[in-house]
Amino acid sequence: MSAVIDDPAASVSAINDAGPAPGVRARDAMSRFMPAFVLFVGIVVVWEAVSRIFKLPEFVLPAPSSIVRVLVARQRDLGYAAWITAQEVVSGFLLSGIAGAAVALIIARFATFGRALYPLVVLFQNVPKVALAPLFILWFGFDLAPKVVLIVVIAFFPVAINMLVGLQTVDTNLIALMRSVGATRNEILWRIQIPNSLPYLMAGLKVAITLAVIGAIVGEFAGAQAGLGYMIQFASTQMQTSLVFAALVEVSVLGMLFYYAIEWIERRYIDWMPHAA
Amino acid sequence: MNASPHILAHGVCVDFTVAGRITRVLNDVSLSVPKGGFVSLIGPSGCGKSTLLKVLAGLLPPTSGNVSVAGVAPIEAVRQRRIGIVFQEATLLPWKNALDNVALLMEVAHAGLSNDEIRGRASDMLRLVGLERAAEKRPAQLSGGMRQRVSIARALALDPEVLMMDEPFGALDAITREEMSDFLLGIWERTKKTIVLVTHSIDEAAFLSREVHVMASNPARIIEALPIGLPYPRNEESYAAPEFARATARLRRLLKEGHRKAA
Repeated sequence: MSAVIDDPAASVSAINDAGPAPGVRARDAMSRFMPAFVLFVGIVVVWEAVSRIFKLPEFVLPAPSSIVRVLVARQRDLGYAAWITAQEVVSGFLLSGIAGAAVALIIARFATFGRALYPLVVLFQNVPKVALAPLFILWFGFDLAPKVVLIVVIAFFPVAINMLVGLQTVDTNLIALMRSVGATRNEILWRIQIPNSLPYLMAGLKVAITLAVIGAIVGEFAGAQAGLGYMIQFASTQMQTSLVFAALVEVSVLGMLFYYAIEWIERRYIDWMPHAA
Repeated sequence: MNASPHILAHGVCVDFTVAGRITRVLNDVSLSVPKGGFVSLIGPSGCGKSTLLKVLAGLLPPTSGNVSVAGVAPIEAVRQRRIGIVFQEATLLPWKNALDNVALLMEVAHAGLSNDEIRGRASDMLRLVGLERAAEKRPAQLSGGMRQRVSIARALALDPEVLMMDEPFGALDAITREEMSDFLLGIWERTKKTIVLVTHSIDEAAFLSREVHVMASNPARIIEALPIGLPYPRNEESYAAPEFARATARLRRLLKEGHRKAA
C-alpha cells in the first residue's frame, strides 16, 4: 500500500489489491530503507574514526562506542526517564490534537466567532512559548501538568491551522449541491468538511508530535525531577557527556516511534489520499 | 408534452460588482425550453453562458428579469428537487465509493427513506449510467468519463425534471467526449428529462441539441437560437448528414461574427 508510486496504473492496483505478496513487500521496505541505513552507518563510522584519531576527550565528544556502552550500562535509568518523558509527550500530544481540532472546528463552523478567534490564535502563536515554561512550573508544579500544558500551547497550532485548511478547501460546487437539497451547515460539516479535513489533520498531527517531544524536553529543562530532558541537563552539569548523548539517542528513538505510529494510523485509516514515500 | 415552456427566461440581466465597478455579465437574455427539450448554450469563454446556467439552476439570482422553471422561480424549483446539476468537474467525494457518492444527495434530501431504499435507488442509477460493476470503486479508481457518469447518476437519483449541465465533458479527451455524447443522448431518450447543456464544442452542441443558443460577449447576450433539424435517434451517421454540416457551419459563422463584433 505504501510503496513509492510512480505511475498512476500502479497506484490504482495498489488501492485495488490488498498489496503485493509479503516477500515483495519486505524487499520493497529493504530497498526503501537501505540508503538511509547505509548513510547512518557511514556517519557513525566516520564519527568513531574521528574521535579515535584525534583522541577527543569523552566529555567533549564521546565516540559512538562509548555512547553505546552507557546506553547498555544505564539502561534502567534511561528506560525510566524515557517512560516519564513518553507519558508527557503522549498526554500533551493527545490534548494538542483535541485542542487544535476544536479550535479549527469552532473557527470553521461559527464564522463570526471564528473571525474573532483566529487573529488571537495567530497572535498567541507569535509568543515565544518556550519562555512560558518557567511560568507553568510556577503555576502547576514539577510533575506532569506543566509539561503537558507547555506541549499543548506549542503543538496545538499546526493541528488547528492544518485542519482548518482541510475544512475550508471543499469544492464550492459540491457545497452548492448539498445546499440545493436542503443540507444544513451541520450536515455539510459532518458529511463533507470533516472527512475532507482528515488528511490535513494527520499532516498537522505529524508536526505536532515532533513539537510535543521538544515541549517535553524544554519543560523538563525548566524544572523536573525525572525524564530524559531532566537527565540531559543533570548529566551535562556532571560532565557525563556520554550519558547526555545516550539520553539524546533515546529521545530521538522515542520521537521516531511516535512519528511512525501516526503515519501508520494515517495509512491504515485515511486511505483515499495518495501517499508520498 | 406540455404546451407552456418548461424553462422560461425573459429579459435576464446579471451585474457583478468587481472592485467597486459594476460589470454587466449578462444583458437582456431571453430563452424558452419546452418540456423534454434539449438545448445547448454555446459561446466563447467569458460570454456568460455558465452564468446564465447558474441563473436558470437557481444558484445565482438575476439582477433583473424573470426566470421560471416548471412554472416556479428557480430557487423554488431547486427546493422541489426539480433541477439536477452536473458541473465540469465530477465533484465526487474521494473517500466514498461510486454507490455512496450517488446516494449522498438522496441521504440528505430523503431523510425519511431507509438506507436500503436509498442504496437500491443508487444502484438503479448506476445501472442506468452503465456503471453497476463499478459500485464499490472509489473516484480515484475510475476514469474521467466514468467519474462524470457517477456525477450524472447522482443528479438523476433525485429524479429531477431538468438536468442543467455546465460543460460536463469539458475536461475529457476527444474520444471520451463523443462516447459521453452518445451516452447522454441515450439517457435523455430513456428518461425524457429536459436538458440544458453549456458547451464550447460546436460538434457537441449540434449533435446533441434540438436547439442551440449562440452567445456573444461584450455585452454578453444570445445572438441567435438555431434549431437543429437532424432527426433523433442520432448516431455516428448523424455526423455525416448534410443537416449536421449545415448546422455546424452556421454555428461557426455565428461564433466568428460574435467574436469579431466583440473585438
